[in-house]
Amino acid sequence: MDANMAVIGLLALPFIGAPLTYLADRLALRRGDQPRFGQWIALAILLLSLYCLSVFWFSSPLQQGTWVLVGSVALHWDGLSVLLALTTILLGSAVTLFSGSYLAEEKAHDKYFSLLLLMIGSIIGLGASNDLFNLWLWFELMAVSTYLLVAFYPQEKGSLEAGVKYLVQSAVGSVLILLAISITYTYAGTLQLDGIRARFSDLNSALWVAGVLFVIGFGIKAALVPLHTWLPDAHAQAPSGISAMLSGVVIEAGLVAMLRALMALGAAEIHWGILLMGFGAINMLLGNLLALRQHQIKRLLAFSSVAQVGYMLAGIGVGLAYQQPVALAGGMFHLFTHALMKGLAFLAVGALLYALVLSHRQHTPLTLEDVCGAAQRYPLASLTLAIALLGLGGLPPLAGFMSKWQILVGGFSAQTDASVALMILAGLNSVLSLGYYAPIVNRLYRHQPSEAVLRGNPVPNVMILPLLILSLGILVLGFVPSLMNPINDWAALSVLGLGMH
Amino acid sequence: MDYLDGVTILLVVLGLVGIGIYTLMISRSLIKIIIGMQLMVKGVLLAFVLAGRISGNMGLGQSLALTIIVVDTIVAVVALAMAVRVRRRFGTLDPRALTTLRR
Repeated sequence: MDANMAVIGLLALPFIGAPLTYLADRLALRRGDQPRFGQWIALAILLLSLYCLSVFWFSSPLQQGTWVLVGSVALHWDGLSVLLALTTILLGSAVTLFSGSYLAEEKAHDKYFSLLLLMIGSIIGLGASNDLFNLWLWFELMAVSTYLLVAFYPQEKGSLEAGVKYLVQSAVGSVLILLAISITYTYAGTLQLDGIRARFSDLNSALWVAGVLFVIGFGIKAALVPLHTWLPDAHAQAPSGISAMLSGVVIEAGLVAMLRALMALGAAEIHWGILLMGFGAINMLLGNLLALRQHQIKRLLAFSSVAQVGYMLAGIGVGLAYQQPVALAGGMFHLFTHALMKGLAFLAVGALLYALVLSHRQHTPLTLEDVCGAAQRYPLASLTLAIALLGLGGLPPLAGFMSKWQILVGGFSAQTDASVALMILAGLNSVLSLGYYAPIVNRLYRHQPSEAVLRGNPVPNVMILPLLILSLGILVLGFVPSLMNPINDWAALSVLGLGMH
Repeated sequence: MDYLDGVTILLVVLGLVGIGIYTLMISRSLIKIIIGMQLMVKGVLLAFVLAGRISGNMGLGQSLALTIIVVDTIVAVVALAMAVRVRRRFGTLDPRALTTLRR
């Protein structure tokens, strides 16, 4: 198998797998059996995709990337595509492994894995598209599959409400993106990202409007702060596996799509960089402050996602504004480690939620009081949750520290007032975020078991396995962060446009 | 193409998008909100046809518009399905009733 076959396989596999999983589970439900095969088909598809990605990685000439022609659509595989695909497939496999028993009681079980595969496939495609319109198509496909997954419990009021909010905001955002694309197309006469970039050495006022519309439209998905209001509802109401995917890859996919569109208008890249730095500062501060006053754990984690996106924005913004590949690579590294850590946090909370609430056939949210003393009955779920939370807070031997450190190093080496001030704010915000992560760990280990914990059911082993795998990844990246360096650096170079030549 | 024609079409585009946004802001019914979103998309469709015409590639602009129609229909279907669910579960289509999560 050569590099071309590998990337075509990577794109095609999830879309072949999606109907297969649906059919398998649907037939099982028809016969009155417990649906079981869908999960394993989905997992097999994802592992095959991972194999394809590794084949591509080891056979491709680095730095230049690979062009693949599918029909008349040209796809460009560069560092950013590989990073996004790797993040999505890794987290997707863990979520697939986790979700089978989590959803065992649900009626709509048969649709879950096919929608999940659709979402994963569209995110992989989004990373590789080299055409504004194509980018929007993948983005919209991802959005539609997530609308359905957020409103996955249609009999629950909260789930419907979150779904409606998410759908309306996100659909308006995508119309604004379309408007921006039509403006860009009018002036550039082409939709190819590198073609548009080569066309302009300076932006006229209409193109500035287009750029701002891109920031707003994609910013809704990437949860830039005044546009983040759908996020806590959607993250808290979706099934836990989907919360992990939303927080770990979907908002980052919005960020990647925004970067791609803004780099097409790269003549103003310094200004975009400064804009993103500003959003980074607001996101960190507001996300952390709002998270401090939450009582429901999933809502708290959702607000902490807003804050963590701020770190990525800070790294990426400094990278663009001052041409600092180190900071940009740090932002990319944080994108990856955040997917692992926040994915693990949501899955571990999901395991507790399953044991304490869902297995009693209830749908109440899990509050901070409910998890008191959970470590006594659920040692592994609590341990992995503690690892994820401390990693998100940025404690040293964990992956989150390493990625934040790289962002800080990049920001300080830019040596401008703005970047240094932003990095000091980022450091202080890490301390602030421990103000809500640490009390959860304290409650897990040092409090008397709550009533909910005493009544809880056991957690199935198959749900614990993905938690252990993800925490192993966080520990390994914490001790050997250089493992990810080639991918991060390549992604940073592709964003700065250096990887194209 | 006449210059005046282009300006007229541009005005229609801006008008449709503006009416759509206005509808989104003042509506007290989910169905009307969905209609507002549809109006915005219709404006954008016209913008793509216009863009294709200005950049000298009519075919591309029109085929993009067709693709948008297909994708947008899917979004509208999902949105309407959710509106039906909301009506059944909450007994109203008023988005102000959707406040179970506010705190």
